[in-house]
Amino acid sequence: MNSMIYKKKSPLIVFLVPAFLFLIVYLYYPFFQNIINTFMKIGGLGRAAEGMNTPWYENYRRLLTDPYMKTALKNTLLLTLCTIVFQVGIALILALLVDTIRVGAQFFRTVYFFPIVISATALGLMFNLIFLYKGGMVNQVLLSLGKLPTEVKASGKVLVEWLDWKDQAHFLFTMFMPVMWQYVGFYFVILITGLNNISQDLYEAAALDGADGWKRTRYITLPMLRNVLCTCLVLAITGALKVFDLPWVMFGAGMPENQGWLTGTYMYDQTFNKMNVDYGSTIAVLIVVLGVVLSNVANRVFRPSEDI
Amino acid sequence: MKKALAMLLALVMVLSLGSVMAFADKSVTLNVVTSYGGDDGNRKNFENAVKAYEESTGNKVNDGSATSNEEWKAKVLTDFETGSEPDVLFYFTNADAEPFISAGKVVSIEEIRAEYPDYASNMKGSMMAVAADGKQYSVPSSGYWENMFVNKAVLADCGVEVPGPDYTWDQFLADCETIKEAGYTPIACSLVEVPHYWFEFMVMNNGTVGNHLDVPAAADDAVAAKWAAGLNDIKALYEAGYFPANTLTASDAETVELFNAGEAAFLIDGSWKVGYFTENAEDLEDFAIAYVPGKGERSASEAIGGISMGYFITKKAWDDPDKREAAVEFVSQLTSDETLSTFVTTEVTALINGAKPAGLNALQQSAADANANITAIAGAVQDLLTAEARGDLFANVQNIVTGKMSAEDALASAIALN
Repeated sequence: MNSMIYKKKSPLIVFLVPAFLFLIVYLYYPFFQNIINTFMKIGGLGRAAEGMNTPWYENYRRLLTDPYMKTALKNTLLLTLCTIVFQVGIALILALLVDTIRVGAQFFRTVYFFPIVISATALGLMFNLIFLYKGGMVNQVLLSLGKLPTEVKASGKVLVEWLDWKDQAHFLFTMFMPVMWQYVGFYFVILITGLNNISQDLYEAAALDGADGWKRTRYITLPMLRNVLCTCLVLAITGALKVFDLPWVMFGAGMPENQGWLTGTYMYDQTFNKMNVDYGSTIAVLIVVLGVVLSNVANRVFRPSEDI
Repeated sequence: MKKALAMLLALVMVLSLGSVMAFADKSVTLNVVTSYGGDDGNRKNFENAVKAYEESTGNKVNDGSATSNEEWKAKVLTDFETGSEPDVLFYFTNADAEPFISAGKVVSIEEIRAEYPDYASNMKGSMMAVAADGKQYSVPSSGYWENMFVNKAVLADCGVEVPGPDYTWDQFLADCETIKEAGYTPIACSLVEVPHYWFEFMVMNNGTVGNHLDVPAAADDAVAAKWAAGLNDIKALYEAGYFPANTLTASDAETVELFNAGEAAFLIDGSWKVGYFTENAEDLEDFAIAYVPGKGERSASEAIGGISMGYFITKKAWDDPDKREAAVEFVSQLTSDETLSTFVTTEVTALINGAKPAGLNALQQSAADANANITAIAGAVQDLLTAEARGDLFANVQNIVTGKMSAEDALASAIALN
């Protein structure tokens, strides 16, 4: 009976064609139209093109010389690196720790996963309050610990030098930290599921051979987790390239002093605020190219082992 | 028998469905977008007016109001361009509206009056904005003024007098120094988010109220030189440390709160902010409306103001037989003498009979007193720039004040986009 299903191809086509058409209309057509748009002059979203750019590759020339684009690329690549080290790294440590406890594992799973279900806009507003200049949570803690310089003026007024968490010295931490925090739980859940799939027999055999906790982790857990870890890393890298909402809510258009651009926020600003749709399309093409290249590199570097 | 019964039941179902639909048709849902969102001083009045409209007509209003800023303006234009415009829009009536007016996406007053002769008949035609094609499209709401808010408690603590209509630039600089020395922030302003208030007055300070609405045609003409001098005045204030330490990373809301909390002395803002302080100030007596210091030929008694916003009915709503009357009724109710009187305290209106605001509070009275001393008024020159040019210019203010870009280069960039 089963073999009959596979021999008769028409039902497969009936199910595949709608999805294929959907992808053509809503993914491939806009994608190729977007590439065409990069050569045109378009003064607003939805407006008709006013003709070709002169020269036609003007937007690509600008892409290579635009200092804000360089900043956006540098920040995005740094964010990608931080994602690998902190998002997946912290998720791995948390997963290994939670895997070793017997009581409360479910509680910690829920707690660590919780940030994922909160909207990025709400998180952005929350972290804006946490890092607020005057009276923000972090600055209040620093003040109560005596870590912020204060000066008593002749008028008797106490002047506090609040720390600006969004200035050039601190903005990377303030921007990246909430992004890391939000997605740690996502990778944590994937990794803990991977840990649950490792057979307990291996640990028992290792314990009989006298292997301590570290050796069991080093020689059993991590090698057995390699494939899941590789998937997490590829997801983290491609996810980092698309980060937009949280930094946009917290930093808006390139704050501070045009040093805070990411490729996503810069593309949005050019397209929707500056009405420079053709240049925004060009940045979008770069994001796609970057995504394809980096995910390929990640796939090759972190290729899942076939031995496991 | 069974067939007849089935037919009867089906008939009853169809008829009841039809009556339900007919009943549902009586209520129209209007999509409305205005700038009466966020911390707008008239938000409460607008919500009350919408509620009154819903109760009197049985219609529903989907209120998509938000705070007016460059991002909001861009979003409204994008909605028009992508075919998702609202039914009724409260928006700027200047060059900002030209993209959707020239695209034929809103209906002219003339066309509406052909069917509804009394539409906007309570407004002075001479005060209604005229578009580039010579037609009128919007029904004006209340006007606005921009001037200097002062925190009297801070000034008193620093031994500084509340500025009068003869306040000069040199006096202002001396006062700022005194205030800074006393440990307060002289000027509450987010240069990254709302540099335009200071831009308007600094440009006027380097010209006159008469030529304030001139727009540079080239980066090296006299008007551009005036604008550059104004931008350099802002830079001088920034370098002197008179703006908040985080002026390049703070939001407008943060710096306004700095002023409200008694940490800053001066704030240039508009008539819409009076409502904010009415609702949020601990003691309204601590605040007053004064004058922006004058320089050169400009006197401190000359200010920015006018009527810049109005209600548009979109073509989409006009072409929908169900929504046409609902939209006309909505605008008529929101711009009636009675409703507008609740929006107005000290602002001008285009009402033929004038607005009749109820008793004024301390800050509103202060605004009325200051306005009584205003000798001349000009509209905001930024309204004559295209959204692209304005966005570019104001985004570069942070580069100008930090010395990363000269005012002349920033103007050349903006003029190229205008």
